[in-house]
Amino acid sequence: MEKKDLILRNPLRLLSGEEDRQLQAGQMGAVLARAGVGKTAFLVQLALNGLLRDKKVLHISLDDPVNKVSLWYEEVFRHITEEYRVKPAHEIWESILPKRFIMTFRVEGFSVPKLEERLTDLTAQSIFKPDLVIIDGIPFDDQELNLIEELKHLAETGGFPVWLTARTHRHEAADENGLPVKFVDLMDAFDAVVQLKPEEDKIHIRAIKGASGEKNDSFLMLDPASLLITGK
Amino acid sequence: MTEMKYDINKVRNIGISAHIDSGKTTLTERILYYTQRIHAIHDVKGKDGVGATMDSMELEKERGITIASAATFCQWKAHEINIIDTPGHVDFTIEVERSLRVLDSAILVLCSVGGVQSQSITVDQQMKRYNVPCIAFINKCDRSGANPDRVIDQLKNKLGHNAVSLQLPIGLEADFQGVVDLVSMEALYFDGDNGETVRVEPIPESLLEEAKRRREILIDSASLFSDELTEAVLEEKEIPTELLWTAIREGVITRRITPVLMGSAYKNKGVQPLLNAVNMFLPCPNDVQNTALDIKNEETPVILSGEQKDPLVSLAFKLEDGPFGQLTYIRVYQGSIKKGDTIVNIRNGKKYKVGRLCRMHANQMEDIDVIPAGFIGAMFGIDCASGDTFSAPGVNLTMTSMFVPDPVISLSLTPTDNKSQINMSKALNRFTKEDPTFRTFVDEETNETIIEGMGELHLEVYVERMKREYKAEVTTGKPQVAYRETITQQAAFDYIHKKQTGGAGQYGRVAGYLEPLSDEDFAFENKVTGGAIPTQYIPSCEKGFRQCLSKGPRMEYPVTGIRVVINDGASHAVDSSEMAFQAAARGAFLQGYAKAKPVIHEPIMKVVVESPTDFQGAVMGSLNQRRGIIIGAQDEGPQCTIEAQVPLAEMFGYSTVIRSLTQGQAQFTMEFATYKQVPKQVAEELEKEYQEKKKNV
Repeated sequence: MEKKDLILRNPLRLLSGEEDRQLQAGQMGAVLARAGVGKTAFLVQLALNGLLRDKKVLHISLDDPVNKVSLWYEEVFRHITEEYRVKPAHEIWESILPKRFIMTFRVEGFSVPKLEERLTDLTAQSIFKPDLVIIDGIPFDDQELNLIEELKHLAETGGFPVWLTARTHRHEAADENGLPVKFVDLMDAFDAVVQLKPEEDKIHIRAIKGASGEKNDSFLMLDPASLLITGK
Repeated sequence: MTEMKYDINKVRNIGISAHIDSGKTTLTERILYYTQRIHAIHDVKGKDGVGATMDSMELEKERGITIASAATFCQWKAHEINIIDTPGHVDFTIEVERSLRVLDSAILVLCSVGGVQSQSITVDQQMKRYNVPCIAFINKCDRSGANPDRVIDQLKNKLGHNAVSLQLPIGLEADFQGVVDLVSMEALYFDGDNGETVRVEPIPESLLEEAKRRREILIDSASLFSDELTEAVLEEKEIPTELLWTAIREGVITRRITPVLMGSAYKNKGVQPLLNAVNMFLPCPNDVQNTALDIKNEETPVILSGEQKDPLVSLAFKLEDGPFGQLTYIRVYQGSIKKGDTIVNIRNGKKYKVGRLCRMHANQMEDIDVIPAGFIGAMFGIDCASGDTFSAPGVNLTMTSMFVPDPVISLSLTPTDNKSQINMSKALNRFTKEDPTFRTFVDEETNETIIEGMGELHLEVYVERMKREYKAEVTTGKPQVAYRETITQQAAFDYIHKKQTGGAGQYGRVAGYLEPLSDEDFAFENKVTGGAIPTQYIPSCEKGFRQCLSKGPRMEYPVTGIRVVINDGASHAVDSSEMAFQAAARGAFLQGYAKAKPVIHEPIMKVVVESPTDFQGAVMGSLNQRRGIIIGAQDEGPQCTIEAQVPLAEMFGYSTVIRSLTQGQAQFTMEFATYKQVPKQVAEELEKEYQEKKKNV
């Protein structure tokens, strides 16, 4: 069946590797990159990977309206299906659509208790119960440690993993790994950290901290044109 | 006869687009008053029984909504302004879209309390699609809860406009007095019974600081569009007013900035500055590029010159029944239409001689001799449909054919008496010409007249108009969803039609297969080789297959998305005939169809609900119960927007449900999105209903 083919050929398998290396319920992952490098595209691919495996994905965006997030999915999906020449793309799309839920907040209006309230709304009426939550656009400007801990707690009680993006800035001081200093304190809270780094005309994906704990060199890249994940 | 002035730079073809109830018609009325086209002000839902001038249909007056987009002409400070009054309800979007094709620019009216609502989003998307530049007017600043700043923020965040305020309100809500013009740095007040006198005063002390700050922001945004202005800013020189105007105009025309004005049309405040802004910032027809399609050259787009000396290209965008016959509103894009000219309707190649031409002001008209490029006018006595292109003989250009969606809902009509029957046919004939999304036919089995359209309200309005304007009393049946049938897998057929007992015999054998087709409704392919079916009978085969499409074998819904391929067959020297092959094809279709896993598809609507956040859970629950897939929920502080895809069949009466769920505080819009397969359970119910119906016939 073609859907299976899409999973098999999907470059994300390279990222997630074996099933046991994916984030488990209650675990947290972060994607670090500067503005415009492809954090959202990367997250959307993570989400699509989940959706294709019949996981329900809750996508939370603090930057973009629902329409725009939706467009990201359509674009990335179109690129993937074109790239891998998947035939009944439309049917696959139709089948994953009900498993995705987009929620947007204003940055200043976002808080974990509020998210929890919304989630309860959805689960209590059994409208939607996520298997994976991704959050795009949390500004790591101030001390966000508190928020991270709250999120972690939510992930544990809700029984789902959480991926989030963190924007880094050019002028920020970095440690020997190229990791922003302010982020070092937060590292412990995450079970996986991936950094997107543009070098020359390519965007490298570096796993700074893997789900299984070991560091590893970048073996994956984002195609700068389509922002799709590709092997080296 | 009135002389028509031809200074194209001083022509503005504008639309006034807005959410329902944001006061668009009142604003138009005030514009017509200040431009001295009308001499008294009436209110929408007027107590004096006259009603606003633009809503020319009785029904619109009664409901307080604008349905048809009449074109009205007025003059302001030596500029000629054609106003296309665009409908505000989403059910009538085909009219909105057609208007947008005709406009060069628009005023986006927003309510200072309600702000950017779902309908504004739909209209804005359409404006984007047709690349229509706009200025925004925040109306109802006198209402309690008025907050122009919030609306400007919404323009930026929700619609992605680079919105910049040109004015600052003096007082708000009940205390709303006037506006500060941030370009000229003056305070404007509106005196007289109807606000006709604009009094210019220095800016009140209390607002001066804020006004200076906002002017900085305005200059900063405008400087992106003018190097000269940037230079002036850098040199810290006094900024000349004209320089600022030119810069803003440049930004507006390229859709990179949206200047925001404010006021209260109802209280006669802020309308004249808005008209000044129309003259100053909005493009004239020459600033806008229009394209047509070359029908001789695979419909490749051709840019129209807009020159009067070139051959005519024009678009009939609106029809009306007047006392002197059919009135056709027309926009000329290139060349001109003169009395006595011969023009050709590109759709059917018919030639017409132009008789009377006029310019319209809602219900009154003015005779003119010529409609030049860039102008809008009306013709008499020319039979055509809305959306037809008229051009000079020999020109093979058509204005971009607009996307016309298929109807999703139908209703049966039964006239109460003979007179109503005649009037009903007249009305239906008119409506179908005016509105391509409205269709009608007679059901051969029940002999009922069926009307089809884009939503419940869409059809309701036409039924009302029939009663009012055409005195046709009709009773209506229950609304029916336009289901469709299609197949999901390939299936072969091999069918012999044989009748060789007594009289003239019939013989035909047709073999091949059916398969699903995603982007077309029907395709027929002939792969018969070696004359197994004689060539002269191939068209009969196709005809036979086509005959099966209107009523699907499963539940008699139309069949779509199917390809028929024939690759073999047989004929008889004497007994084969066209009739025999048609019958064979019909039999073959039924045979193949049964094996091709047929399914039922239903129309899915995109539903957008806006509700206070407190009711978010309840609203989502209600959508979920209706088999809706919730695409997303957008949290915007006190308000939230929920977008979902819901089957049309589940949406009947939803407006009542949502009102009671949210204490009347939520509203929703609905438009057709796509067709999807119905779930098994629903299909079984439909099957049951269908069997019941069959029994009763």
